[in-house]
Order: sequence, then C-alpha cells, then structure tokens
Amino acid sequence: MAESLEATRSALREESRGLLARRNVVATGAGYKVTSGKRTRTPCIVCSVTRKMPASELSAADVVPATIRGVATDVIETGPIRAFQPPTGRFRPAPGGVSIGHRDITAGTLGCLVRKGGESFILSNNHVLANSNAAAIGDPILQPGPHDGGTLANDHIANLEAFVPISFVAPEPPSECGFAQAVIALLNAGCRVIGSGTRYRIVSIQQTPNLVDAAIARPLAAASVIDEIHGIGAIQGTVQGALGMRVQKSGRTTGLTTGEILQVDVTVNVQYGPGQVAQFTDQLLAGAMSQGGDSDSAVLDEQKRLTGLLFAGSDSTTIINRIEHVFGALGVTR
Amino acid sequence: MPPSIQEVKARHEARLMEKPGVVAVGVGRDADGRQAIIVSLDRERPDTRAAMPEVLEGYAVRVQVIGPVRAQ
Repeated sequence: MAESLEATRSALREESRGLLARRNVVATGAGYKVTSGKRTRTPCIVCSVTRKMPASELSAADVVPATIRGVATDVIETGPIRAFQPPTGRFRPAPGGVSIGHRDITAGTLGCLVRKGGESFILSNNHVLANSNAAAIGDPILQPGPHDGGTLANDHIANLEAFVPISFVAPEPPSECGFAQAVIALLNAGCRVIGSGTRYRIVSIQQTPNLVDAAIARPLAAASVIDEIHGIGAIQGTVQGALGMRVQKSGRTTGLTTGEILQVDVTVNVQYGPGQVAQFTDQLLAGAMSQGGDSDSAVLDEQKRLTGLLFAGSDSTTIINRIEHVFGALGVTR
Repeated sequence: MPPSIQEVKARHEARLMEKPGVVAVGVGRDADGRQAIIVSLDRERPDTRAAMPEVLEGYAVRVQVIGPVRAQ
C-alpha cells in the first residue's frame, strides 16, 4: 500500500499542472478514494473543484479522467478556496465580526444586521458607532474602522442612525473637561461651516443604570452588508442567555473564540476612559474571550442563536449585553 | 418561600458595590456548583475581602479578582 501511495504522489507531481489547468479544478493532492461516502484504502489523486458538473457539460479537455498513469482519481467539491481574510480588512459585502467604527474612534466590531421598519441596519456599540454619545446622527461609519486604515473617501459604509445614550457615573476630571469643551466648540464650529443643523454637546452626567451600549447605522447600499457572521455563518434566531451556556463570538481583534456564561444578573462598573465610568445592570459575564476592538461582537450559543453583544471586559472576563435589552432599547428585531 | 438569589442580590447590591475596588456583583456558581453571589474586585483588596459577608440570607458570597473592566 505504501508503494502505491508513492506511485500516486509520483504521478501527481507529473500531472498536477495539467489537472489544475482544467475548468473548476482548484486543488490537487494525494489521498484515499472516497466511494459511496466512505474512505477506501485505494490511493488516488484528489482533484478539488469549485463545482461538480456532469462530464456531458464539460469539454473533453476539462474532464478529469478516471485514471491517470494507472492511478485512480477522485473529484470532490470544495467550492472556491480563498485566502483567510483577517477581520481587520475591508469587506464588501461586510459581515458581522469585522472591523468597523465611527470616523472619530479607533475601531470596533460590526455586530450583525438587524431589522427596523422593514429595513436592515448595522448593529454595534454606542462607543463604536456613536463615539460614546459624542457623535451626531448621520455621522459617517467606516469599514474597516479608522485604526485599520479605513478612510472616509474609500470606506464609508453607513451613517449613524440611532444610539442609546450611555449614562456615566463619574464626571470627567477638570482638565479633561476643558479639553472636551474645546473639542465640542471646534466640532460645532465645523457643523456651522457645513451648514449641519446638528450641534454637539457634552452629555449630562447622571447616575442611571444602563442596560446596553448599542447603536445602529444605516448602510449606504443594501449590497454592502451581508447577514452572516465572519467565521460562523448565518445566525439561527435568538436565545436568552443563561448560566452555564457555551457561547462563541467572532471579533475584530481575537477572531473566533468560545467561552461560557459564568454569571448572570451582573451589575458592573465599566471604564470608558480616564475618570469616565458607566454602571450597567442585568449583564452576562463570560470568561476571557475578548480584547480591545472586539466590541461589539455578536455572542451566539453553540446552535448559532444570538444571545448578546460583547462590549467590555477585564483580563479574565467578558461582559455581554443581553440581546433582548438591545432589541428593546433600539426598537429593532432580527 | 425563601427569597430567590436574585432578590437577595438586588437587596444587597448597592452596599456591596460601594466597597473599595468592587467592580461587579452577579449571580454565578461556587466551586461546588451551587448558586452564589459573586463579588468581583479590580485587584487584591484584603480590607474589602475581610468586610465581605460569607453568606447573605442563605446564599454563599464568593469574592474574586477579575481586574478593571474596560469598554472594548
């Protein structure tokens, strides 16, 4: 048998160029032939094709012969083979799990698509799409986010549609406030120049418990987004998060990771910047499965049902908004 | 009917969150798999640990260090 596999490899070396020149063939290799769904002990040359077609629809030169140099062949359908695309790249259409951000932030993660009034919107965090309350409705959203090279000229994918304001617990330190006021004044001057009716303001500081860090953006074109999650696929409905649930997410920074919901009914103080803290209630807490830039990854269970939106974490934990609160606060559905 | 762990947590939460270094309070499980109120700290805080009750209205209280929680 070993000799026979050697013969197969030898034949493959001679023939792979000719096989790869045939229509639909995307890969060749030495393997064992699969007959009626079962792997046999017959070594063969395996041709991977984008799509299996009847020999009658192919020209004679494109048909993979049953044997080559006395070695059996097998044809399997793999679909097109693509280089793995890192989530920090530019995606069109853009799925959930890839880099996105308001033009004034670094970068976060596109959560998923949601529906409102019969239209599709991009769902992510307030701190990703609305710059932690600082953005104006209609502001441009870039994919990839600015930190990943996204520019307004080339990567403008959507405009901010709505956000749930975050209530911060502690006021910013005085020095920060002075800076913030200067920035706000500058931004408002810019608004007047471009004739925008929107004015920026420093958000009033009050202690109201938050349930979500969420916002939606309206895609400029329906074809620029796709209703699936990078590396996971289509979302299969929603489910309420519960203690012990195994979950997975696909995010800009750490890609596809898994974890377990270790706490429910969590009240947590989250830092948004120096001296800027917001308290959230009724959160889910999972083990470490994220880092900066992974907000706002959609969190799904093992059956790919959407259960929450990742928005914060520590070295050993990940904090997740319940999806039912996100949908309720924004008036959206799947 | 004894109160649920959610009710007990809700009753004591504000007081627990006020202790220095407490960043989160939630409902989880202890090492034996029993429901417990989990208090999370930003770093090791002996004084806060010492001030924590071991049991609240029949439910175990567990203290753990998770580090500061930041928006990601």
